[in-house]
Amino acid sequence: MLQAIIKHEIRLLLRNKVLVYLFTIIFFMLLSSLWIGSSMYHKQLSTIQKIKDYDTEITDSLRQRIARIELNHMVYPGFIWDDPTFAYNTARNEGPQFAVKQPFPLQALSVGQSDIQPFYYKVNITRKQYLTYDGEIENSFLQFIGNFDFSFVVIYLFPLLIIVFTYNVLSSEKEQGTWVLLKTSNQSLARLITFRIGIRYVLFTFFFWLIVTMVLMILIGGQFFSTSNWWWMVACVSLYFAYWFTLSLFVNSFSMGSAVNAMTLIFIWLFTGIIVPNILQIGLNKVYPIPSRIMMVNEERKALNSYFEKDGQELTKDVFNNPRTMIRQASVVTPGMVYGYGVIVYKSQEIKDGAAEVAERQLYSQIEKQQAAIRRFQLASPALMLQEQLNALAGTHWHQFNAFSTDVDTFRKVTQRFYFPKMAEETTFRTFTRQDADRIPRFQPKVYAGYDWSYLGRSTLVYFFITFGLLGIAYLRLLKR
Amino acid sequence: MIRIIFRKELKEIFRTAKLSWMIIGLLVLTALSVYNGYTYYTTHSQLLQESQATTYQQFISQGNKNPHLGAHFGFYAYKPTADLAMIDNGIEDYTGNSFYLEPHKRGIIKFREVTDATSLKSFGFFNIAYLIQFIFPLFVFLICHNIFSKEWENGTIKMLLGAGAGKFQLYAGKLLACMAVIFMIAGIIILAAFILMVACTSTILPGFTIYAAGVCIFAVIMTSIAVSVSLITRSATLSLVILSGFWLTGVFLIPRLSAEISRHAYPAITSVEFEENIFREMQYGVNGEGHKDERREKLLQRTLAEYHVDSIQQLPVFFIPITIEYFEESDGKVMDRAYTAIENNQAKQDAMVRMLALFSPFLAFRDFSMHMTATDMNTHNDFAEKAEMHRRKMGVIVDDFYQHHVEATNDFWKTVPQFSYQPPGIARRVTAASGALTILGCWILAAIGLMFFSYRKLSV
Repeated sequence: MLQAIIKHEIRLLLRNKVLVYLFTIIFFMLLSSLWIGSSMYHKQLSTIQKIKDYDTEITDSLRQRIARIELNHMVYPGFIWDDPTFAYNTARNEGPQFAVKQPFPLQALSVGQSDIQPFYYKVNITRKQYLTYDGEIENSFLQFIGNFDFSFVVIYLFPLLIIVFTYNVLSSEKEQGTWVLLKTSNQSLARLITFRIGIRYVLFTFFFWLIVTMVLMILIGGQFFSTSNWWWMVACVSLYFAYWFTLSLFVNSFSMGSAVNAMTLIFIWLFTGIIVPNILQIGLNKVYPIPSRIMMVNEERKALNSYFEKDGQELTKDVFNNPRTMIRQASVVTPGMVYGYGVIVYKSQEIKDGAAEVAERQLYSQIEKQQAAIRRFQLASPALMLQEQLNALAGTHWHQFNAFSTDVDTFRKVTQRFYFPKMAEETTFRTFTRQDADRIPRFQPKVYAGYDWSYLGRSTLVYFFITFGLLGIAYLRLLKR
Repeated sequence: MIRIIFRKELKEIFRTAKLSWMIIGLLVLTALSVYNGYTYYTTHSQLLQESQATTYQQFISQGNKNPHLGAHFGFYAYKPTADLAMIDNGIEDYTGNSFYLEPHKRGIIKFREVTDATSLKSFGFFNIAYLIQFIFPLFVFLICHNIFSKEWENGTIKMLLGAGAGKFQLYAGKLLACMAVIFMIAGIIILAAFILMVACTSTILPGFTIYAAGVCIFAVIMTSIAVSVSLITRSATLSLVILSGFWLTGVFLIPRLSAEISRHAYPAITSVEFEENIFREMQYGVNGEGHKDERREKLLQRTLAEYHVDSIQQLPVFFIPITIEYFEESDGKVMDRAYTAIENNQAKQDAMVRMLALFSPFLAFRDFSMHMTATDMNTHNDFAEKAEMHRRKMGVIVDDFYQHHVEATNDFWKTVPQFSYQPPGIARRVTAASGALTILGCWILAAIGLMFFSYRKLSV
């Protein structure tokens, strides 16, 4: 019997021209999204290679320049602000190192926050990375429009395709007059309809993963197979499809007309996929408003101004009005002036960092609270839940970028501890050697694709039960028909 | 006869529970979008206004400092919230609104709110524009998808035509009934937007009238398409599927796909390359200008000759500020070239997306909406240009002072003017929106064509 239903279903689906055309279009969309995602991944890899090349070039140049000055009895023929034997100059010019978040291959499937959050920073001793970050040069208008990636196709387009695929699985029998015929047969109608939906689900999901796996193997290689992230992804997406197939069966079980079924399903898609996340956004912004970074800047500047009212005044006088530091002030830059600037920058930075810390903590705690609330409420929207899951599994979630940013901040402090004693001490401000150049702290790039922090297992389990609950109810309802 | 059909259709539409639910839904969504728009506008405009005053106050009260050091303390130029941002905040959260005014370096616009936003941001920002661009067309399609097809499905088409209703009368009556319902819905949204605008600004902004007219045009296009599809398919289900597909394609698919195509057609330079190019051009010069050290030496010789002295110590003015001013100009040219190249590339990307908007009236309307509310890329670039001009003006003031003084007091800082930005006026906004309006015009023609085509299909 099952075999007969399968054959009948396949024949029926192939005969439906609209469905075949639709499938073809969606198939090409899926291919396009995978290609777009993988090209973004490859672009990141190539940018990281450029960063490495640039870093090697600049470090070699620094070593050579220091060697030339040392050979020339510490005389630098060029502009004093470019002399790398001054620790402050190197800290500003060749010293800043790149901190890189190594891309995870599965990010080809979900761009997540990787188009708006930086995957590398140039770490400067003065400016905090969050204030100077501008990331890659991206067109804001295109960012606003959004990405055409695999997760977009799966989250938005596939539910609609599933709706088109299943909305009339029962109602069409009634509208074509075959319902009565089926009722008079000795087969269980509930089982028949459930089988039909089940067969469609299996066919749909099987071909989907077959295509995705093959295309991914070609585009990014097969290393993703060995990661648990991939298998979780397969489970989550398959469950998402199962949810929509079951929901369609559930709506069908109410024995309404095809148009009403389609409208109900489209409304559910719109409500859970667009309206619920937006309402959640409004609510969370109200409960946990995220302060603007402008406030942080204002705090920094306020602290700096109050410092320069007293202590800073003394310091600048010492630097700019001291004969030791200047021969003829504002005409010739002397070594003492470079030293003085180094001291001012060091002091100012300490004050600015201290002042920004409170505002920064407030900002991040609010974002954290919003993220925690999203984890709690994501069950209200399957689209939001899958987006969170896919981002987490692809290593493109806010949480992972935040972990990277925190590591970069720690690295910045290490860099400061390396330069500050050298540039702000009278005995060391012009003793930056080749050995120092080799000792400049470097960031160890790593992949941020862990998902222990997410409620992945819990949310998947809940949706698993919801799906089975819907299936059970639909089956019982169909039994009564 | 048209009036009778019009009344009959209105009665039928209003009698269905579907419309009642939709209107309740619409009112809830409108209220949410008004609340969101109001909160966004008031908090942002207040913060930016206050911050502009604060940052300048901090600058002019920084006390006695070396002029160059004080100039590095600088201040921020903040882009004020657009006057119609309560209706559409466009790309504001993606561009950032803070431009740092300090020597040597062209400011880069910072603090893009989107970087601190959660993943919910990718679902959009629910305001009036979002309601009109995303939800409203779906309402139109849900209301109109069966306006003709129901007659075939119920078998009442023969009765209607047999009762003496002509083809034209039937068509016009049904179309007008749909238009009336849709305009009622559009009217509710426009009225809400109007109240919101008055509540936020206490004025009636001239751009609003054009915006409202644009909404009406958009409503006409959507309704005409829905009615035509309903007639062509003669099946409520098929019509609903086609219209939903059209909505999905126009709202999500074409915009995102066109963005990707334009990214690949005009790839952006990486930040690393950008910085490296700028550094090289500044340091080594362009067109045989020579290394920075050589140019500095030439400048010194010129300055010595100008003041008829032999050494730097004899100069009646300080040489460092002269150097700063000189390189501010030459480095400025390098930065101008680099930033213009980026802007040109982005303009090409934007133009390609707009061209592809030919396939999506939703995208064309979104473009029109952003231009009219001055939350578009043109306004953003205009702001960046004005802020950069102010930065250079500030540099000249400080360097001129620095040539004769080594310490600046608050009296001097006060001579540096505060920054203020005036967004483009209505004429410039309409000009910027002309491309989008042309595409909407094309869609009107296409909708008329579709109506003619479907009208010819009106037979039993």
